[in-house]
Amino acid sequence: MRVTCRWLVGFLGLAVAGLLPGHAAAGPLDPPGYQKAFSCSACHGFAGNSKTDTTPILAGMAPWYFKKAIADYASGKRPAAEMEPFAKMVDVLSVDDVASYFAAQPRQPSAITLDPAAVQRGRAASTQCVVCHGPNGKGDASKNIPDITGQPPGYLQAQMLKFKADTRSPGDPVLKAVKTLMATIPDPSLADLAAYYSSLR
Amino acid sequence: MSTVSRRQFLMAAGAALGTAALGGVTGCATSMKGDFAPKTGKRVVVIGGGWGGATAAKYARLADPSTEVILLEPQKQFISCPMSNLVLSGVRTLESLTMSYDGLRGHGVKIFHEEASAIDAASRRVRVGEGYLEYDRLILSPGIDFQWDQIEGLPQAKDAVLHAWKAGPQTVALALQIQSMADGGVFVLTIPPAAYRCPPGPYERICQVAWYLKNKKPKSKIIVLDANPNIVSKTALFRAAWQAYPNIDYRASSKVTKVDVGARTVTTELGDTVKYDVLNLIPPQRAANIAVQADLVGADKRWCEVDHVTYESVKAKNIHIIGDSTIGIPVPKSGTVANAMGKIAANAVVSLVNGRAVTPMPPINTCYSWVNDREAMAVINSYRIDKNKVLQIEQKLTPGQSVAFGQNALSWAQSIWADVLA
Repeated sequence: MRVTCRWLVGFLGLAVAGLLPGHAAAGPLDPPGYQKAFSCSACHGFAGNSKTDTTPILAGMAPWYFKKAIADYASGKRPAAEMEPFAKMVDVLSVDDVASYFAAQPRQPSAITLDPAAVQRGRAASTQCVVCHGPNGKGDASKNIPDITGQPPGYLQAQMLKFKADTRSPGDPVLKAVKTLMATIPDPSLADLAAYYSSLR
Repeated sequence: MSTVSRRQFLMAAGAALGTAALGGVTGCATSMKGDFAPKTGKRVVVIGGGWGGATAAKYARLADPSTEVILLEPQKQFISCPMSNLVLSGVRTLESLTMSYDGLRGHGVKIFHEEASAIDAASRRVRVGEGYLEYDRLILSPGIDFQWDQIEGLPQAKDAVLHAWKAGPQTVALALQIQSMADGGVFVLTIPPAAYRCPPGPYERICQVAWYLKNKKPKSKIIVLDANPNIVSKTALFRAAWQAYPNIDYRASSKVTKVDVGARTVTTELGDTVKYDVLNLIPPQRAANIAVQADLVGADKRWCEVDHVTYESVKAKNIHIIGDSTIGIPVPKSGTVANAMGKIAANAVVSLVNGRAVTPMPPINTCYSWVNDREAMAVINSYRIDKNKVLQIEQKLTPGQSVAFGQNALSWAQSIWADVLA
């Protein structure tokens, strides 16, 4: 208890500590998206900067892509028990507000440790991916092609496996090309590609 | 409005001080006299540093750095209840579920590792030791306490009968008892009537103990005496998971009313007596003592009813109650719900302290259950607010159990621990 007592004495003289710079934008007076999105941070990290291997980073995500994902989850077209109820909730709250909030947050790329050899193999295997996602993996919004850089490797790999098995948004015409391609790539190469695109900034 | 009288307030403070002295904790409690941290500006006091209170303290600071936030939590470290059933099967250690409060300090939350012993709503004071703290608004996240007197023999037995329903030393003690049990021994788990903390928790615990016994003590069995007429949560998913565990003897509508530590038996209200080698008795529950003493509970003397938008108590002004001690909002008593309530209540309280309107915001629920060492499943609930009441939009279960859901469960834990504490 002595430590606590000594600390207490110090505490009385302390000034109110400032906030970390990254949190300065948050607050009840900010755009409505903050409160509508803060429940998401339980899984997706504060301001959408997920730190885990399997949950995607929403910070800095293009609104068109966020809104398509929410629409597909909500309709059940992209089956995911862990997202469908929340996609419906986002629609109730205003998908535009939530999408704008996440789009405006500075993205911190995934810090999940990557095997450098896997990254190199993935780079070598990415020649067909660059046709659509571009040499930097940034995609092309005008063609509904998302930026996939810096996402967690576990998330990227899981999505590629879903494309391969056609369990993500079956029948979606904009996904036809990626699914055709994924079907030709062996599973270990998908893990390498996930590592490579996770490493891109 | 119902609040404790000044006399009750002082008596509760004295009782708490007596307990502290008996426990050898004297230095600070006795030095906390009078108004030991005078309020100089807007102040929110948070009682309880669990999933709800720690989140609320952090998000109040995020919402308004000009409001002082003081957290009262006796424990020096945070121990996660979610995932703690994995300690019983030896899959995880309690250390891996034990975390620092330093992240909250980084947000400017002032933490006193002291117990709040009473609340005086009329004067907006929280009693701590011999002293008190003043608040503009109080966020009360006290968790649950046990109704020991509901089971004959339990008040006397107390610590000799483990609940392991608050992650900590009892979790480790129960794991050791299970490990020490002879092969062929009988593990008895008793489940209290709803409502209780973590509806699927007892059934996840059954999976974990059954998995451990199946692998390490194949002649042993687990007898479950459930006060409820059926599995309370994820019913079909648990039934399916239990197909892998023929060592489970599940008995519904078997409310335990008596324990005899000497004879190593428990007895149900129907008169069935069951002998155990290791007993895990999860007692009936209610809101924690401080909420009951402050008369914040309803007519049932168990749970606290709150406003669905601000989480303000329906019985006392300026006291906002979150987490497992609440009732009436159609949500389970889960960690995710407490975390969501913490954010919503923090923003509501900060808005009110600043004289601004509160934006109604619904909670969420995500709850994973582990069925063995690698596979999990989940229930997800989303909500909306209509006419200032929380209503469910949808509840969805994962289509089954899988390793992939287990990986998602780990991600959920890592992410939400950071959301609560970092």
